[in-house]
Amino acid sequence: MFNAEKFVKNTIAELKEKIDGKAMIAFSGGVDSTVCAALVNKAIGKQLIAVHVDTGYMRKNESRNVEKMMKDMRLNYRFIDASKEYYDALKDVEDPEKKRKIIGEKFIRIFEKEAEKEKIEYLIQGTIAPDWIESGDDLRDTIKSHHNVGGLPKNMKMKLVEPLRDLYKDEVRKLARELKLSISERQPFPGPGLAVRIMGKATPERTELIREACFIVEEEIEKAVEKGLMKMPWQYFAVLLPVKTVGVHGDKRAYGDTIAIRSVESIDAMTCTYSKIPQEILEKISIRITNSLGSKVTRIVYDITNKPPGTVEWE
Amino acid sequence: MVKIYVIDNGGQWTHREWRTLRDLNVETRIFPNTKPFGEITKDGVDGILLSGGSPRIGLESALGNCAEILDKADFPILGICAGHQFMARHFGGCAEPSKIPEFGKIELTLLVEDNELFEGVPKKSIVWESHNDEVVGLPKGFKKIAESENCKIQAMAHKNKPLYGLQFHPEVENTEYGEQIFKNFIKICEK
Repeated sequence: MFNAEKFVKNTIAELKEKIDGKAMIAFSGGVDSTVCAALVNKAIGKQLIAVHVDTGYMRKNESRNVEKMMKDMRLNYRFIDASKEYYDALKDVEDPEKKRKIIGEKFIRIFEKEAEKEKIEYLIQGTIAPDWIESGDDLRDTIKSHHNVGGLPKNMKMKLVEPLRDLYKDEVRKLARELKLSISERQPFPGPGLAVRIMGKATPERTELIREACFIVEEEIEKAVEKGLMKMPWQYFAVLLPVKTVGVHGDKRAYGDTIAIRSVESIDAMTCTYSKIPQEILEKISIRITNSLGSKVTRIVYDITNKPPGTVEWE
Repeated sequence: MVKIYVIDNGGQWTHREWRTLRDLNVETRIFPNTKPFGEITKDGVDGILLSGGSPRIGLESALGNCAEILDKADFPILGICAGHQFMARHFGGCAEPSKIPEFGKIELTLLVEDNELFEGVPKKSIVWESHNDEVVGLPKGFKKIAESENCKIQAMAHKNKPLYGLQFHPEVENTEYGEQIFKNFIKICEK
């Protein structure tokens, strides 16, 4: 069985051996990158610089909270707001694989620029097993290109260090608990962020819509869990569909977008079942989203697909 | 410590097979299917698992060195999905594209009560699938062990050699008795 205590001890020793110079960690604030940062920080201390990029596709208040967390963890950090750059790069892009590749490449370009400025030789990433498995290789089909795998250039100057490569999320959570990190139970969030929760063009306007819808889904589900009405799902969010439907809003015709609610149960993200959320909670989420987003959204649907055949995120 | 290696045919769940073995205290490694038999077995090995892979590879391609492994092994082999289809084909059986592919949850029915790979597994249980192809004709010397509504050969075993094939995936969390099947295979390898 996976032994978190032993893994922490061995990995810190290995990292001390391996990293000779300044290193940078791509820090999203999720479980994987935070665990990775804590491990490397223990190994090389102030030689580590955490870099957080606000892509504009983060959840409500997320990047500000991540900044606070980097402070609390006493990390040597840089905060980069690149939202305008990302919105411009994705302006006309509809294809999900193109979106993922553009976002992944952009991350690397930003990291390389920082590395050059600060003479950093190592790039640390919190890549875990499903990331490289689903990204494909010589033997495997690409299911989806994960931002931390698919965007890596062949001739990258920095040396890549990925201490969590062979682990799954449940094992990384064990490490987070071992390291006493507050984010140990946080739900997964994809690297490309809300951009892959908007089917079609991920414009700033559509991003605001889905940001609010995701916020409502998270808040309502967390409230229900707190009240003991359901158990905490593995992952829960909203997806904006490029499908318009007719509604009636106060005796007036409305013609707005469709939002899908997705919530799944899993252990390791390699297989999932859809969550059997009580109807009253789904209804509450549906009413709150349509009331908050006005005529822009006229229909809410619930996704009842397992993985396989589906995946967790829609793109 | 029992030593069981995983041969990677490019499946999404190959690494999950490695993890399940490791969690059950098996000494395990993943080798790409291009690795020669001599190199895999040079320090001794107690069993081998042939992983799944993309559609049609169990039907058409040589599947790396899997043929050599099946011919030369004097230890137990468990083929999963494409590994199972290839095993059937290699020994003279028949595998084809499925009329009704299965993805995710299905009900498995055991047809044989005393197979050692299914010890402790009830007659009906939930297993998870992800296949476009399947075995439709058994190779000589093999018997059918389990079926589902849409796939008649979900599990097969050789009548007197430790060779097993599974169409479903015992390595994923959602397969109810997956870990039990792995434990049984480990026990077979320990003999």
